[in-house]
Amino acid sequence: MSRLASRVPGASKRLAPDEDELCNVCKSSRYLNPDMRFLVNPECYHKMCESCVDRIFTHGPAPCPLAGCNKTLRKARFRTQTFEDLKVEREVDIRRRIAKAMNKQESDFERLIDYNNYLEIVEEVTWNLILNIDVEETERKLRLWEEAQKAELNPNATFRRVTDQPEASQLSDSSHVVLKKGGTQRRALATSSGNTSTPSGTEESGKRDTGFVFQGLKKRKLPPPEKAFDPFDGWSIEPQYYALQENHNYQWLTTYDSDPAYFAGGWQTRDYYSRMMEEAFGGMCIFLEDEKVAPLGSGDDDVGTQNAANAAIGMKDVVMDDVF
Amino acid sequence: MEIRRPPNSDLPLVTGPSCIAELEVLFPYPRVYPEQYAYMCDLKRTLDAGGHCVLEMPSGTGKTVSLLSLIVAYQLSSAEKRKLIYCSRTMSEIEKALAELRGLMKYRTQELGYEEEFRGLGLTSRKNLCLHPTVKREKSGTIVDAKCRSLTAGFVKEKKERGEDVEICVYHDNLDLLEPHNLIPPGVWTFDGMLKYGEQHKQCPYFTARRMMPYCDVIIYSYHYLLDPKIADRVSKELSKDCIVVFDEAHNIDNVCIESLSIDLTEDALRKATRGANNLERKITEMKSTDAEKLQNEYAKLVEGLRAADEARDENAFMSNPALPDDLLTEAVPGNIRRAEHFVAFLKRFVEYLKTRMKVLHVISETPPSFLSHLKELTFIERKPLRFCAERLTSLVRTLELTNIEDYQPLQEVATFATLIATYETGFLLILEPFESATATVPNPILHFTCLDAAIAIKPVFERFSSVIVTSGTLSPLDMYPRMLNFNTVVQESFTMTLTRKSFLPMIVDRGSDQNQITSQFEHRNDGPVIRNFGNLLIEFCKLTPDGVVVFFPSYLYMESIISQWQGMGVLDTVWKYKLILVETPDAQETSLALETFRTACNNGRGAVLLCVARGKVSEGIDFDHHYGRTVINMGVPYQYTESRILKARLEFLRETYRIKEADFLSFDAMRHAAQCLGRVIRGKDDYGIMVLADKRFGKKITQLPKWIQMALETKNTKLSVDQAVSHAKAFLREMSVPWSRGEQEGHSSWSMADLERHLEKKRVEAISGTEHPGMRAAEGRAERPRVVEVAKGEDDEFGGAGMDEVMAGLDA
Ligand code: SF4
Ligand SMILES: [Zn+2]
Ligand SMILES: [Zn+2]
Repeated sequence: MSRLASRVPGASKRLAPDEDELCNVCKSSRYLNPDMRFLVNPECYHKMCESCVDRIFTHGPAPCPLAGCNKTLRKARFRTQTFEDLKVEREVDIRRRIAKAMNKQESDFERLIDYNNYLEIVEEVTWNLILNIDVEETERKLRLWEEAQKAELNPNATFRRVTDQPEASQLSDSSHVVLKKGGTQRRALATSSGNTSTPSGTEESGKRDTGFVFQGLKKRKLPPPEKAFDPFDGWSIEPQYYALQENHNYQWLTTYDSDPAYFAGGWQTRDYYSRMMEEAFGGMCIFLEDEKVAPLGSGDDDVGTQNAANAAIGMKDVVMDDVF
Repeated sequence: MEIRRPPNSDLPLVTGPSCIAELEVLFPYPRVYPEQYAYMCDLKRTLDAGGHCVLEMPSGTGKTVSLLSLIVAYQLSSAEKRKLIYCSRTMSEIEKALAELRGLMKYRTQELGYEEEFRGLGLTSRKNLCLHPTVKREKSGTIVDAKCRSLTAGFVKEKKERGEDVEICVYHDNLDLLEPHNLIPPGVWTFDGMLKYGEQHKQCPYFTARRMMPYCDVIIYSYHYLLDPKIADRVSKELSKDCIVVFDEAHNIDNVCIESLSIDLTEDALRKATRGANNLERKITEMKSTDAEKLQNEYAKLVEGLRAADEARDENAFMSNPALPDDLLTEAVPGNIRRAEHFVAFLKRFVEYLKTRMKVLHVISETPPSFLSHLKELTFIERKPLRFCAERLTSLVRTLELTNIEDYQPLQEVATFATLIATYETGFLLILEPFESATATVPNPILHFTCLDAAIAIKPVFERFSSVIVTSGTLSPLDMYPRMLNFNTVVQESFTMTLTRKSFLPMIVDRGSDQNQITSQFEHRNDGPVIRNFGNLLIEFCKLTPDGVVVFFPSYLYMESIISQWQGMGVLDTVWKYKLILVETPDAQETSLALETFRTACNNGRGAVLLCVARGKVSEGIDFDHHYGRTVINMGVPYQYTESRILKARLEFLRETYRIKEADFLSFDAMRHAAQCLGRVIRGKDDYGIMVLADKRFGKKITQLPKWIQMALETKNTKLSVDQAVSHAKAFLREMSVPWSRGEQEGHSSWSMADLERHLEKKRVEAISGTEHPGMRAAEGRAERPRVVEVAKGEDDEFGGAGMDEVMAGLDA
């Protein structure tokens, strides 16, 4: 690979004022004002300078000042552009949204070719939105798909990021932002809450119109319901080999039960029974041979020792971190 | 490099087979040097054992011819006929090797009495082999390539057959009329021969060579055809596993490997790439309206997998993928770049992303994974489709039947970059340098995607071929190469030059006549006394040396500054009295003019001194044999410029991955270049010359010189002042002026057949086998083995164990 890099001598074109460096609204140029910043709004991607944005949109949403563009813009959503090419800027915004909605992985599919087909459909959807082909229909499908996905997701599941509904729907409605705040948002909230609250099983969502149908898509397996938290992981101190009775009825013990000199201090005969039984049966069902086979430190609480042991005998799974 | 027949031919010409370990080798010269014999024995051992080897053999001892005679003998005696792939660096070396091979084959025919079925071909770029009247007149190689492709691509021919009026190259077309495996008669073909034959039979020499490669016994071409993955995949794909690969002049092979996988991108290149992508887009739209079926066909193939689409991959292919793992090639292209228009938009997005990265005004160095994650965050480009970029682009270009391929070069660079960065997680680094120099204020960014690991590019070669022979005049220390390139050797050997008289005199000069030190160390670089001492050294040696003197400086920068100071001190005026002064410049044309003048001055007795740079073109490829170079002076240790970020990254990588210390590598690198410079003046056994290493730091680096120089360097010559050096040199020249005939080296440093037999007999009688006997080693010109107990290396080393920063501070550009 030839190193092509011959720096073009004096390739300092960047600082020269050209078409791009002119504000489309007030026509002031970067040449006169080097600190000028340009902003765009993802509604229409018309570029204007920061002072124009301040001037026009400080008092609330207003229509875009550029001729022929009748989008309504809000100041809050103006931002500096990341990419030089505004088309790419827009494309990336659309992709961001689609990436949220359609985030299947290769492992979600039965075969590689299914995954590839899926990718192609995703790409086509993206293109439709970018080139404004069939926007209505695509939007509809996309929304359906999003909902279906959500329905399929266990709301508490943590393994896949749940898209936050209000933002997504706001974005998806980007073609027709309504000025009145109430309408859309309330509607969005309504749909989202309606969806998440209805407990919908997977078999139910199968019948539903999901917008897209992908071949070879594995059914999502719901994670098994979580059990109550058990700090000892199933281990208990309850006796295994005998049952402790409430009362073993030894005459010489019962007297202490009723003697305030004892029970006032906390004496309980039951504890005494328990202690006696434990001492009597404590060594039962423990076989020395078994204990020998499982040597000290084989438990998983002893990972450190295990690794050290492996390292000592030269096993190679020990990653020697660089000391630097 | 070549051994001439002795001029006094009344000496008995001992020709005939010399027996090397049960193999009959026909050696085309009457005499064989002991080291040649030993060299051939080691080659044989390597081939028998089936492994790789590293052999160091001084220049001027007939390395090429020994290599060829042994391997050819080996090939022709065994049944399976292993093919020889001989790689060298420059065009002239390739031509020399072809000529040697031709001579060898002629000799064999004469000796055996019949002609063997044998084909030897050289391959070089289209530029050197083209016959097309208009195409061959182009100056730049890439344009010739591109024009040729537009005349020879498969679809052009199809169009022609359909009766459309398109231009084609008759030379190429005629090839199709011939038998595909017999395009050229057997024999060894030099480039000239090929051109002549091509002209006579109206067939293209370039494609003849390319297509005949599978049917050749010996192929001689440049490193790049094996190492540069873009070309290698296309040119060298069909070579079978049992080929014998030789890398000659391999002392710089690690840099070639690294170069071949590194890419630099500038803003300008990105702009051009965008333009290329836009063009592609337009072409796609065009094709959709005229010939949608073609796109549909491509699409259908891609659904299946790249290789399927690749069946038609012909010799004209636009470009190829960089070192893709094979499993990837059989996998299907990801769905989101399957459609042509999707792919172009994908590329555009990627280019736009790179453009935004270029806007940063501080230096960034980033690993590929970090780059990929940022890329994904910003543009939703995943790693997987990125890996397919290069191959997908090739497919698209082929489908669109583009002819003006050179326009898409920048886009191709970007696609290659994408593929590489998505394929390799380690061994690469991304460095963005927004400013040209530390003082520049106007940004002019370059994105360096540098390969740090030389082993990546060469790995397929070592994996694929069972015997790889790495050889050169200067490979010391020998174990550095296997370490850096990550391979194992079966034989590692360093040979010296057996000499009857001491024909070269290496000296280390560490101080001037005024006892002031001589060094190019950074701190002392501009000290008046140091510069004056360098000047005196030059004056003195110009006075005493007949004919040519060659001087090497560590860098252009240093050379310029020292020359301007010498001018002020009157050094140059004094030198001028004795010699013509010529200077190498980065400009190739100026330099070749200077060289020509230098030669003329040496020929007519005026004498000249050539001031050049240790890493320049002169130090790598120009021979100063005989009177062209009687003295070579290394002014200072030729260290690399250590402030370069790329070098720093590579040093760090070498330390962490291959456990090679920074200082060790820098010192090794400096010394291999110094040794290259020194080797420029001794090009044969009857040549003589003085080698001056002028820097006090050389004293500690003697062990890093090639063995043959080390052995000639006497201890008393390692710490000289300028005046001492002068008197030694004078004595040496006096000795050399004594008449001397080749006859004196008979039996000692040049063996006839009888001598060889005597040697073998001796070996047999003393029951010595193997290569370990010290006496035998000396007789066969093998270098002494390093003593087992080495001098405590840490103390010996100038930088012994110092941290990176100290090392950097102590070094110089
Ligand atoms: S086919 Fe051969 S002769 Fe014709 S243009 Fe290409 S290189 Fe030249
Ligand atoms: Zn403005
Ligand atoms: Zn607008």
